[in-house]
Amino acid sequence: MRKKGLKDWWVYLVLGVISLIALIPFYMMFVMGTYYSEDLFKGLPLLISDYFWENLKTTLSHGILAAYGNSIFVSAVAVTACLFTSITMGYALAKFEFRAKKFLFILVLTGMMLPTQISIIGYIMEMRIAHLTNTLWSVICVWIANPFSAFFMMQFMKDSIPEEMMESARIDGCSEPGILFRIVVPCMKPAITTVSTLVFLWSWNNYLLPLITLNKQKVYTLPLMISNISVSYRQDYGAQMLALALSTFPVLIIFICGSRHFVKGITAGAVKG
Amino acid sequence: MKRNKWPVIFATPFLTAYCLFMLFPMLYSFYLSLFEYNGIVEKHFVGLSNYINLFTKDRLFLKSLFNTVLIMLMSLPVNLILGLVTAYLLFSLARGRRLFQVVNFLPYITTPVAIGFIFSYIFDWNSGILNGLLTHFSILEENYFWLQQPWSARLIVAIMIIWRNFGYCMMIYLSGMTAIDQDIYEAAAIDGAGRLKTFFAIVVPLLKNVSVFLLITAMIGGFQMFDEPVQLYSGWSAASRSVGGPEYSVLTVIWKFYDDSFGSNTRLGYGAAIAYTLFLIIGACSLFSFFWSNRKDS
Repeated sequence: MRKKGLKDWWVYLVLGVISLIALIPFYMMFVMGTYYSEDLFKGLPLLISDYFWENLKTTLSHGILAAYGNSIFVSAVAVTACLFTSITMGYALAKFEFRAKKFLFILVLTGMMLPTQISIIGYIMEMRIAHLTNTLWSVICVWIANPFSAFFMMQFMKDSIPEEMMESARIDGCSEPGILFRIVVPCMKPAITTVSTLVFLWSWNNYLLPLITLNKQKVYTLPLMISNISVSYRQDYGAQMLALALSTFPVLIIFICGSRHFVKGITAGAVKG
Repeated sequence: MKRNKWPVIFATPFLTAYCLFMLFPMLYSFYLSLFEYNGIVEKHFVGLSNYINLFTKDRLFLKSLFNTVLIMLMSLPVNLILGLVTAYLLFSLARGRRLFQVVNFLPYITTPVAIGFIFSYIFDWNSGILNGLLTHFSILEENYFWLQQPWSARLIVAIMIIWRNFGYCMMIYLSGMTAIDQDIYEAAAIDGAGRLKTFFAIVVPLLKNVSVFLLITAMIGGFQMFDEPVQLYSGWSAASRSVGGPEYSVLTVIWKFYDDSFGSNTRLGYGAAIAYTLFLIIGACSLFSFFWSNRKDS
């Protein structure tokens, strides 16, 4: 291939500028979080100031930790439940012949194309009847059966789990659930990473549904908390910004640490789907 | 015969949850869309008139559809082209590829709500940093009302969407480029094709399927635009809090749906009709772009 050297400097320059644009809002969030609110308006807040600890105190006293707990709970349960249903469903579709198979396959396929908004109103009515509004379950339930995940698991099992492996386990007298959970699942690590990453991101960032079903501060998830920052912090802009930074940075840091897996997971989902 | 019960057992958890939380609510939404219903008073059958009213009586619906499409037209092509070009630049790099990848991907995983908030600060007319910078360097004489003008409001929403999704497009294109047989690049280099020529003659045509995928998914996502414009008008300054922004210029279809059924109104039947209409539009557009992109082959 071509020789790479100084000729590439302009490529680095262009990419550098673009990356800078991607980073500026994050930088601003962080820097402004260290300011005393009134000072923000005196000049351009470009460098770190010294009000960080005070702002941190204000932020922590406004329930950001509770919102974190709620969001973690929602995403953890959603991911676990979704993994379970999609693995079992994918297994049934990929490795068995049965009467309703075609029908189920079409169900999954069409489910992938339907925007969730068309079911929201019916879903809300259901939640009201079940007295689940204002509980975290109302934002978890939508993720339990995720057609994309089921489809993805099915494809993965079709491509990379050989029949012989299951057959020999069967001959050894392993039960069917045993085959699935002890033999197939351990081979599914890449698919499990992909689906967990995506469902985690989707459920973590979800805003429309919590906005409708949750209206007590006790059950706020992070996006809801952020959107209500300006209400609960009155005019304390410094604390608002810090709260914003605190609610986004940990996720970003986790992402950066595991970026190798996550990036693969997200693009695999796209290129396959 | 014994084995036959297992696939059914394995399919049951998914199927139960699917029927409970997707299929049934979907059908019930459709049923409700034929009624005038506000969740409290007895519902009242009106047939298709909710749907008809959307197009004949409700000027805001058509406006919201117009806004959504407009913002999409402003952001989607930029996203695809910019994503493709930077992916190609990144692909030719020997070092630092992963760093650039990760950095540009950060906006995509950030909560859109947070993005809306920070952008509403950047463009705030009084305390915003953009006006601050522009007046500081005397580019502008006085603060500009970015968020109070219909066109600049739309532009800002488009910028937010570009800022957030561009890294994703780049990443998908990049993985597409790595999937192309590497010998092709080498053959092109031997034949004396420069970077530009390789790009237009090889990369762009070979990545057509990736582009179609991105186009369709971005379109589906674009029609469901909600978080960003809403947060832009409720984040930083509570003073600009309003439904739809200036002259309803950034009122998107889903925002209208939310506002009519859970916001300033509780017309659940009408809201359901909006959702179903949007679904039909999305379906038609995806089918159209799918067949259109396939037709050019033959």
